[in-house]
Amino acid sequence: MKYHGVTLHRKLENNIGLLIFGILFVSSIGGLVQVLPSVFQESLSTATQNSHLYTAEELTGRDVYIQEGCHVCHTQQIRPLVAEVERYGPFSRADEFVYDRPFLWGSKRTGPDLHRIGGKYSDDWHRVHLLDPRSVVNNSIMPAYPWLAENEANAMGDIQKKMRVLQTLGHPYSEEEIAAAPDEIDGLSQLDVLITYLQVLGTGLAEENR
Amino acid sequence: MTDFREIYHDGVVKRLVQFSIIWAVVGMLVGVWIAAELIWPGLDLGQFWLSFGRLRPLHTNGIIFGFGVSALMATAFYSVQRTSNVPLFMPRLAWICCYGWQVVVLAGGLSLLAGWTSTKEYAELEWPFDIAITILWVCFAVVFFGTIATRRIKPIYVSNWFYGALIIVIAMLHIVNNLALPVSLNKSYSIYAGAQDAVVQWWYGHNAVGFLLTGGFLGMLYYFLPKQANQPIWSYRLSVISFWAFTYTYIWAGPHHLHYSSVPEWVQSLAMVMSLILLAPSWATMINGIMTVSKAWRKLRVDPAMKFIVLALAFYGLATFEGPMMAIRSVNIVSHFTDWTIGHVHSGALGWNAMITYGTFYFMVPRMMGRELYSVRLANIHFWMALAGTMLYIIAMWGAGISQGLLWLSVDGIGELSYSFNDVMASMVPYYGLRLIAGIIFLIGTILMAYNLFRTMWGRHTVSVSPPDIVDEIHGTAHMPEPEPDFDGSTGREVPA
Amino acid sequence: MLVAVLHAPGTVFKEIAAGNTRVIGAVQRLTFLFILMPPIFSWIGSTYFGWRLGSNDPLYFDTTARVIISFFYADALILGYISTVLIARWMSKTYGGGKVATEKLFALFTVVVAPLCVASASHLYPQVFFNVLILIPAVMWSMTLLYRGLPIVMNIPPERGMLMSSSLVGWLLVAFVSLLGISAALWTYGFGPSLGV
Repeated sequence: MKYHGVTLHRKLENNIGLLIFGILFVSSIGGLVQVLPSVFQESLSTATQNSHLYTAEELTGRDVYIQEGCHVCHTQQIRPLVAEVERYGPFSRADEFVYDRPFLWGSKRTGPDLHRIGGKYSDDWHRVHLLDPRSVVNNSIMPAYPWLAENEANAMGDIQKKMRVLQTLGHPYSEEEIAAAPDEIDGLSQLDVLITYLQVLGTGLAEENR
Repeated sequence: MTDFREIYHDGVVKRLVQFSIIWAVVGMLVGVWIAAELIWPGLDLGQFWLSFGRLRPLHTNGIIFGFGVSALMATAFYSVQRTSNVPLFMPRLAWICCYGWQVVVLAGGLSLLAGWTSTKEYAELEWPFDIAITILWVCFAVVFFGTIATRRIKPIYVSNWFYGALIIVIAMLHIVNNLALPVSLNKSYSIYAGAQDAVVQWWYGHNAVGFLLTGGFLGMLYYFLPKQANQPIWSYRLSVISFWAFTYTYIWAGPHHLHYSSVPEWVQSLAMVMSLILLAPSWATMINGIMTVSKAWRKLRVDPAMKFIVLALAFYGLATFEGPMMAIRSVNIVSHFTDWTIGHVHSGALGWNAMITYGTFYFMVPRMMGRELYSVRLANIHFWMALAGTMLYIIAMWGAGISQGLLWLSVDGIGELSYSFNDVMASMVPYYGLRLIAGIIFLIGTILMAYNLFRTMWGRHTVSVSPPDIVDEIHGTAHMPEPEPDFDGSTGREVPA
Repeated sequence: MLVAVLHAPGTVFKEIAAGNTRVIGAVQRLTFLFILMPPIFSWIGSTYFGWRLGSNDPLYFDTTARVIISFFYADALILGYISTVLIARWMSKTYGGGKVATEKLFALFTVVVAPLCVASASHLYPQVFFNVLILIPAVMWSMTLLYRGLPIVMNIPPERGMLMSSSLVGWLLVAFVSLLGISAALWTYGFGPSLGV
């Protein structure tokens, strides 16, 4: 058996076309069996009562979150462990993320998890905290984000175009929502919309799941 | 037989080595800076582009794509000519690849500072860069596979299987993971959402580590180790088996980054099992390397390059053991999201990738330039600094990671949390301090190497080397690179044996 | 002998290599001391000062837990010690050491771990970072002793010694990280500190 394997390999290592094909074939099996089914698994992409469609303002805030790389230090994924549920709130469900493009689960908790941060602190607390973290959280090592207060939310890009792209990808935005979007964020700072996003994080979970 | 006008294209190799060294210094400097920011957050100086969230992707991308890929292209171009007995196919394209890549990494790095990011780890660059990368990657593939297709040695040498897998699999991962609908030049939305996006991303993220940082660098190992040791690879059969097992198994392991998350449990468990199996081919390669090197101990006296490779193998052994271990769900509960992961990545990145690259550069540069290394002493100092820096780094991160994992989950007698998040974070300062020191030590070592190698390259062109005249068609040559043409410091044409 | 081991390890290595039974015997008696020192220190430390993991109050364990911890600690040390000797013996042929008497290897590793075991006195005050800070230089010192002593005792050229020492360092790193992994898994399954999992 082993001998046959090496004989087969001899064929491949003498022919670059076969070698390329062999590598492509062997390396794609895992993806086809494991990743592809997940990509087509409907329960992972179907909206339920737990799913929240971001408003224009929240969506813009989410893009600020992405721009500043908040996901580098904060996760948005509460594991179903006693201590974690106690610390952060109900564990994360797949259907809460169906409108998350890209997903922002993160991989490192330099700061705490933010998936259920919505509603835990007041808007004013967030405002002060983002501008000067150490004035409210002693010992915090979070950077300050003074420029967010000065930059306009409008500078985050054409909101209508964003919503149309997302519409193409299946987010059920109505034409009215898209038409009203520019007015919704007009005059707001990037700080304002980021706080709006933070305040809605994790609040979509239906009551019976809490 | 060989056309005497044929000369290996080493100019492009030299240039890629230079870029790679520069990226190493820049990338590690950024790393040291963000390590310091975790102790003194004011170090961003109120500038948005110095903010941790933007610098950290610059650090990872600068190291992986600037330092790592430049080194991989350099060594792939160097070794594929010598294992195929033929100069590079389409050398102009190789030059385009070389400079194009640097432009993409530089511009991409700046775009990260500007806040353009797709957020997907190691794939943060936005869609215009993704397209540019795809085009350059195809150029790389054309040059590499074209050279192999025109080869004069029938069997394709082991190192080329690994470089080939690097090119093919990374292309597949890159394209699938970065599929997105653009909104504007600097913004796009992933075609996958939520849990599906997570599965695709970690299929990419884990295998970027697998086929670039492990597989690609194993290609380096399989060419330069036997060359340096002047020994054939210990076991050809082992390298065949481990190559295919590695290529097959690695792909499955990605979702171990998503243990206890909202992706389906069968995906997580399967990833855990495959991660454990992955230990076998990883260590088979290590054993192959150690057995090859153990026969060439005499070289250690004169060759600092060899020491780096020996150590790289030891840390490769550690990292490929630690990874599967951390993929076990009950271990992962403690290690996930903590600095243990950061330590694990660095035992690979510093101990394995950087060390083997350094060893390779110390080997390759003097040979290409036809001149002795500027200072063997400096190289030896670099060696000990690299070792000390790596050890200190991983010990500091083990301490930090274990503490975090334990303290976050600790509950007291009545089931209340024992520690506030803030307290745990505040207690990390000493570890972060040690990590900073470790990083500085490692960075200084790298700067010493940069000086040493640039002095070696200073004011010289690469030696002209032609393919050897006699082409050995015997099968057995497949596991022994062709003999090194002697170099005596002369700049003239090497006369083939 | 303890002083000689710490102060002039080079001489001790040469005596071991020469097969001086008096020195080897004396070093071997130290072995028991060295294996007992860290668990005893950690026992005393955890009894009187408690474990200080973060910035909160120290953690005190009951007697049973302390017995179990010290017992496992000693076990891990013995296992690590014996396995390293056995692996060194197994490797020695590859690295040109031929058949080296096992008691010489035991003596060699006793000298090598001396700085670490003495530094384990830091367990008397079991604050994690304090321990890390004390133990890191000790680790470096022990590693240096390994690289220096191994070629002398095995009677092989320093270059081959360097290769073999690196292989052993690789093994020790793996062994240590396994210990971390096993501990983490045990915590998850409910042994040791109480975790909310």
